[in-house]
Amino acid sequence: MTSWIGTILRVDLAAGTIKKEPLNMKDAHDYVGARGLGTKYFCDEVDPKVEPLSPENKLIFMTGPLTGTAASSAGRYEVVAKAPLTGTIGAANSGGHFGPELKFAGYDGIIFENASETPVYLYINDDKVEIRDASELWGKTVYETTDLLNESCGESFKVACIGPTGENGCLFSGVMNDKHRAAGRGGMGAVMGSKKLKAVAVRGTGSVSVARPNKFKEAFVDARAKLKADPIGGAGMAAFGTEVLVNIINESGALPFRNWRDGAYFDEADKTGGEALADQYLVKNKGCFGCSICCGRVTRVPDGPFKSVGEGPEYEAGWSYGADCGISDLAAICKANFLCNEYGMDPITLGATIACAMELYEAGALPQEDVGFPLRFGDPHAIVDLTLAVGKNEGFGKTLALGSYRMAEKYGRPELSMSVKKQEMPAYDGRAIQGMALEYATSNRGGCHVRGYLTSPEILGVPLKTDPMVTEGKPALLKTFQDLTALIDSLGICLFTTFGLGLPEIAAQYREAIGSDESDEEILLKGERCWNLEKHFNIAAGVEKDTLPPRLLREKLPSGPAAGKVAELYDMLGEYYSVRGWDQDGVPTDDKNAELGIKYESKILCDI
Amino acid sequence: MKVKFFATYREITKCKEAYIPTQPDVWSLLHYLSGVYGPEMKAKLFTADGNDIGQDAILLINGRNIAHLGGKNAPILDTDTISLFPMVAGG
Repeated sequence: MTSWIGTILRVDLAAGTIKKEPLNMKDAHDYVGARGLGTKYFCDEVDPKVEPLSPENKLIFMTGPLTGTAASSAGRYEVVAKAPLTGTIGAANSGGHFGPELKFAGYDGIIFENASETPVYLYINDDKVEIRDASELWGKTVYETTDLLNESCGESFKVACIGPTGENGCLFSGVMNDKHRAAGRGGMGAVMGSKKLKAVAVRGTGSVSVARPNKFKEAFVDARAKLKADPIGGAGMAAFGTEVLVNIINESGALPFRNWRDGAYFDEADKTGGEALADQYLVKNKGCFGCSICCGRVTRVPDGPFKSVGEGPEYEAGWSYGADCGISDLAAICKANFLCNEYGMDPITLGATIACAMELYEAGALPQEDVGFPLRFGDPHAIVDLTLAVGKNEGFGKTLALGSYRMAEKYGRPELSMSVKKQEMPAYDGRAIQGMALEYATSNRGGCHVRGYLTSPEILGVPLKTDPMVTEGKPALLKTFQDLTALIDSLGICLFTTFGLGLPEIAAQYREAIGSDESDEEILLKGERCWNLEKHFNIAAGVEKDTLPPRLLREKLPSGPAAGKVAELYDMLGEYYSVRGWDQDGVPTDDKNAELGIKYESKILCDI
Repeated sequence: MKVKFFATYREITKCKEAYIPTQPDVWSLLHYLSGVYGPEMKAKLFTADGNDIGQDAILLINGRNIAHLGGKNAPILDTDTISLFPMVAGG
């Protein structure tokens, strides 16, 4: 007995068939679960040149071996597909309660193939699995869809769905579950919409076993105690949420301001921070399945033009709609973020895309008639109105729905898109945090902070203090962070556990759950295997080289502790490839492939 | 000199920032703040034995972490801005 259920669902949406298959346990062993295992299934079955919004792209929901167990913060699952925004492997991770419920129903994952001709949703009630008509759900928001499915299926069902933006092919639409949690980045929602799949509603009455219950209990009790004792994982995140980062990143001179054009310090940032959110709009904090951290924000703007109720904003969305758009009106930021959840969009990309449009407008490249009003930095009504325009697929919202790169390219200024591989970078300036510059450039899903979060050691001093101004040592540190993150995403636990836990505590829970005697190092190697598999896919897909927007490489920061700095990417990139065991073009070598047991052949990666 | 407080430190000081008499270095600054704001501040700024900076204190001088400026012996100028945070995280 292990913490795996041992069964996956394979759903052919064109044929209308549902098959129950045994989980590939060899791949589960080698690629852990969730992100790694979902990617392995995907790479084995899908041509990397596939058009992301074609029926041939597959959409995989995959849990991890710790999902649904009593391990620390084990409510995560992964959505995997080729990402329409980036053309890279798309792997988006989400919390809430959906992932555990899928395992309670008796399934480790779902592989969706082909496309339905009419809107459908997948109904899962333990053994009973059906493809059902979703005509009446099509066009509904995330909140409406979830409520309607809870009315028709039952209150206890957990729902993952897309909003109207997923139906309309918005390239940064997400898969939303439990209304407010998102597999947010890269456009997984658009892939789901292209298959005419509106939702998955699941209810499970089973449970998740573990291989060695007594030892597993020892491991998770130890992990939870350490997390609770940690100042961040214990009280800090619960009190102020992730928005508390606004001030420390700003004070460190690393908060990108006005589309990264005007430096990395916003003198009104404090109005948008976690302290202000807690003081003005926080109703209560909230946790995902089995989580003691409870960083979620239930928030309410009680009055005024942006009166609204919802969840968030988290730090990245608070920045994209805040400092990146030059806005300090926290009520407007909350409202825009709520709309993203309601319509099923990634607020990092959308906020950053609006910021890019603001710069295009001020540079004279974006005509006012295209937008409908003067689009200047600092206009709180603009972020709300334009977010709604994308949500409803109206007017200039149709252009914003392409993301910043395609939009800026349309107006002849692609260099003003602050993106990597066409995905917008989040809220840390790589000129002030050199390791983050390398992280953005090498991320396997484009500009992203949760692929190797070097802000933790470089700014927060966790688990060690490193100087954000220097490049020395960053390549090796980033490799470790990337591999560990891939492992954690694959296990089905929250990345935030690493603020209180290290590899020993995390690996111990994994070992006892599945009954393994592998060393910590052998387990971490599985994270590296995942990373390399993702890289192989991207190379085969023809993804562009690892680099950064020219602004980061050429335009010096004007003020703050990193004044005069640019991102010293090319001081780090060659060494990074070396420590990864890749050649200087960033291609994994035969020796590295042999070490990891990855056999790469033309378009399809074969079994170990 | 100016000291800016964030997150839980605001709950202790009841203010966002304060101007205080110039202190020569970080260690002196921490003792001064403990004297002004009392035992709760002291418990956060120092380890239990009082010999080092506590785990729940992040100090920046003009945006630079003191870890890269000499730690508790980092010198301070009258024109410097100090930012004081508890352990925070996010992302």
